[in-house]
Amino acid sequence: MNPAPSFLQQRLPLGDLLDLRAFSEVCQSFAELYRVGLKVFDESGNKLVDVKVGNADFCGYIWTKASGREQCVATVGKVKTTPVEEVAKAVTFACFSGCRYVVQPVLHEGDAIGRVVFGPFVPEDLAELPASLTGIAADFDAAQAASYLKKIRRVPPGTAEKILNHFMDLLDVMVFTGHKNLIAAKLHIEAVQESYRELQEKNRLLEENFQRLKELDRLKSNFIATMSHELRTPLTSVIGYSEMMLEGLGGTLTDEQREYLGIIMEKGESLLHLITSILDISKIEAGRVRLVLGEVDVGQLLRDAAATVLPAARKKGLQVLCEPGQLPRLHADREKLRQCLINLASNAVKFTPAGGKVTLAAEVLPGERLALRVADSGVGIAAEHLKRIFDVFYQVDGSTTREYGGAGLGLAIVKSFVEAHGGEVKVASTPGQGSTFSMILPGHGRAELAVTPLTPDQAAGQAGQAGPAGPA
Amino acid sequence: MLDCKARTMVQINSDARELAIKIVYYGPALSGKTTNLQALYQKISPEVRGRLMTLDTKDDRTLFFDMMPVFFKTAAGVKVKLRLYTVPGQVIHESTRRIVLQGTDAVAFVADSRRGEAAATLAYWNNMLKNLEANGLDYRTLPVVIQLNKRDLPDARREDELGDLRKVIRPPMVPAVAVRGEGVVETLWALLTLTYRSLDRSMGLAERWKVSEREFLARVFDHVDLRGTRLQNEVAPR
Repeated sequence: MNPAPSFLQQRLPLGDLLDLRAFSEVCQSFAELYRVGLKVFDESGNKLVDVKVGNADFCGYIWTKASGREQCVATVGKVKTTPVEEVAKAVTFACFSGCRYVVQPVLHEGDAIGRVVFGPFVPEDLAELPASLTGIAADFDAAQAASYLKKIRRVPPGTAEKILNHFMDLLDVMVFTGHKNLIAAKLHIEAVQESYRELQEKNRLLEENFQRLKELDRLKSNFIATMSHELRTPLTSVIGYSEMMLEGLGGTLTDEQREYLGIIMEKGESLLHLITSILDISKIEAGRVRLVLGEVDVGQLLRDAAATVLPAARKKGLQVLCEPGQLPRLHADREKLRQCLINLASNAVKFTPAGGKVTLAAEVLPGERLALRVADSGVGIAAEHLKRIFDVFYQVDGSTTREYGGAGLGLAIVKSFVEAHGGEVKVASTPGQGSTFSMILPGHGRAELAVTPLTPDQAAGQAGQAGPAGPA
Repeated sequence: MLDCKARTMVQINSDARELAIKIVYYGPALSGKTTNLQALYQKISPEVRGRLMTLDTKDDRTLFFDMMPVFFKTAAGVKVKLRLYTVPGQVIHESTRRIVLQGTDAVAFVADSRRGEAAATLAYWNNMLKNLEANGLDYRTLPVVIQLNKRDLPDARREDELGDLRKVIRPPMVPAVAVRGEGVVETLWALLTLTYRSLDRSMGLAERWKVSEREFLARVFDHVDLRGTRLQNEVAPR
C-alpha cells in the first residue's frame, strides 16, 4: 500500500513557484520605474519574463547590420548561459555596443533555480560609442546610433547592482510565498487523495467481509431449512405412535399411562409447531414464500383462531372475545392468515396476566382494505422495542432466563406473510396496559402482485413442497 | 522483506554531485515539533539555511507541516541539502503524516516526557512505525533519535525513570526543553551523526563522496550557535 510518490520529493522549476502573469506585471512596473529592461530565466534557460525599456531603437538599428546581429546574439547568449557563482551577488556583463548588463542567480534553498538579467543600460562614464560598435559595418551611422542611445538610461557605477539586489529581495519573498502556496495546495490534494485511497481500501475490506457474511448467512438458512425438515420426520412418528397408543391400538392403558402419553403428544405438537415456524422463516429468508390464494371467510378465520387459543387462555384465567361482525370475503391464502392470527393471539395470551382479556376483531377500512386486529390487556411493549419486534429472533427480554418462552419467530412470520399479501402490520402499545396488533390487507385480489417472483425452474422445483401456486 | 537498495531514500543527483537528505520531526500533537524547528531557525546562521516555512492554522497548530532547508557544499564540491520537516500532530492529519514521512532518511521523534502523556506518546510511536512501514521504510535500519521534550514541567519523568526506558528502547534519547532552545541542537547533532553513518553504510559518503563524518557535521554545526549546549566542547570552532 505504498502511496504514490509525493511532489515533496520533486524539485520545482522557478516557473512553478511564481504566478507568471502577476510576476510579469511586477517586473514591468519595476523596469519602468528604473527605466531599465529586465529578463528572468529559469534553470534550463527558458525565458519567463522579458521587459524591454528604451533599447528597442538602438538594438534594432544594430540588428540591421549582419555583424551586429551576430554579435548581439552572442552577447545575449553569454548573459543568459555563462555560469555564475551560486551566491547572492550581481555580475556585470559588457556588451560590444558599450552597454552593460548585470546578472544575478535566483537562489532558493541553496540552489540556483534561475537568473535575472538587468539591462541593457549605459554606464555613466561612457563618453562615445566604442570601436567595437562603430566598426561592425562600413555604413554604420554613428550619429544616428548615438541619438538612439540617448533613449537608454545612464546608470552610475554600483547603482545597477543595488537596484538588482533590491529586486532579488523582492523576488526571494515572491518565490518563498509561491512555494508555500504551491506546497499547501498540492499537499492538500495529496492528503485528500491519500485519505480517499485509504477509505477505498477499507471499503473494499468491508465489502469482502460483508460478502463473506452474506454467504455464511445463506448457508445457515439452507442448513436450518434442511434440518427442520429432517427433524419433522421422526417427530411425526413420535406423535403418530403416541396417538395410536392413546387410541388403544397397542392394548389397554392405565390412566397414568394415558396421562403421560397425552403429555408426550402435547409437547410433541408444540415442538412440531416450533419446527414449522423455523421452516417458515427459512423459506421466507430464502425468498421462497408462495401464496395459495382463495376465497377466505374472515369471520370464520377469527373464530377458528379464538378457538385455538381458548384452552391456553382459560388455563391462565383470561377472557377471549371474538367480534367479527359483518365482513366481506377476502381473496388470500387462508392457511397463512390463520397462522398469522394464531401467532398474534398466542402472543396476546402469553403476555397477558390472569384476569385480562384478548380480543379478536376485524374492521373495514377506506380503500377497500380490511384490518384484522388482536388486542390484549397485557404487559405492553416499550417504545424503544416497537421497531424491532418484527425482526427474526428478536426478543424484548433477551436474557437466557426469560419469563416468556418462544423462539422470536412468530411476529417475523406474521410480517412476512402479511407483506406477501401486499398488506402491512401495525402495532400500538402502552406498557402496562396492553397492545393491539393490526394486519391491514388489501381488499380485492391484489395479493398475487406481491408474491415473491420465482423463475419457472424454481417454481417447478418447489411446487411439491409449497403446494399449488396461486393464480399468477 | 523489502529490498533495501530499492528503497534507498536519499536523493542522489550524481551529475550535479548533490545529496538531498530528508529529516522528519515526528510526534504527538503539541509535543513541540514546530518549536524545535523554530529554535533551530534561530540558532542556525542564514548562510546555511533557508526560511522556515510554516503551514499553520489560525490557532498556531500545524496544519500540514513545517519545513526548513539547510544546505552546504563539501570541500570535494558535493552539494548537500538537508530538509527538516515536521508532521502535523493532530490525529485527523494521518494521511499528511504519511505523505511527509515518505522517503525520509532520518526521524526525530519528539515526545512529551510528562507521565500523563505517556499513553498518547506510545500511540504515536506505534502510529509512526505503521506509517514508516506503509512507506516501505524499516524502523530498525532507519536513524531515529527520541527527544524527551518538556523536561522542565512538574509531571516530567525523572532521570531514573528514563534509565528504565533506555533499557527497552533502542534509539538514543535526548532530553530537551525546546521552548527554551535546550536540547534542540543536541537532538539534531545526534540525528545527523546517525544519518551520516547510515548513509555512509548505504552509499559510501567517505569513500565515494569524499566527505568525512567530521566535515559533514562541521559544515552544519560551525554555523550553529552552540552557546549553552552540551556540544560547545565537542565541536571545536574552526
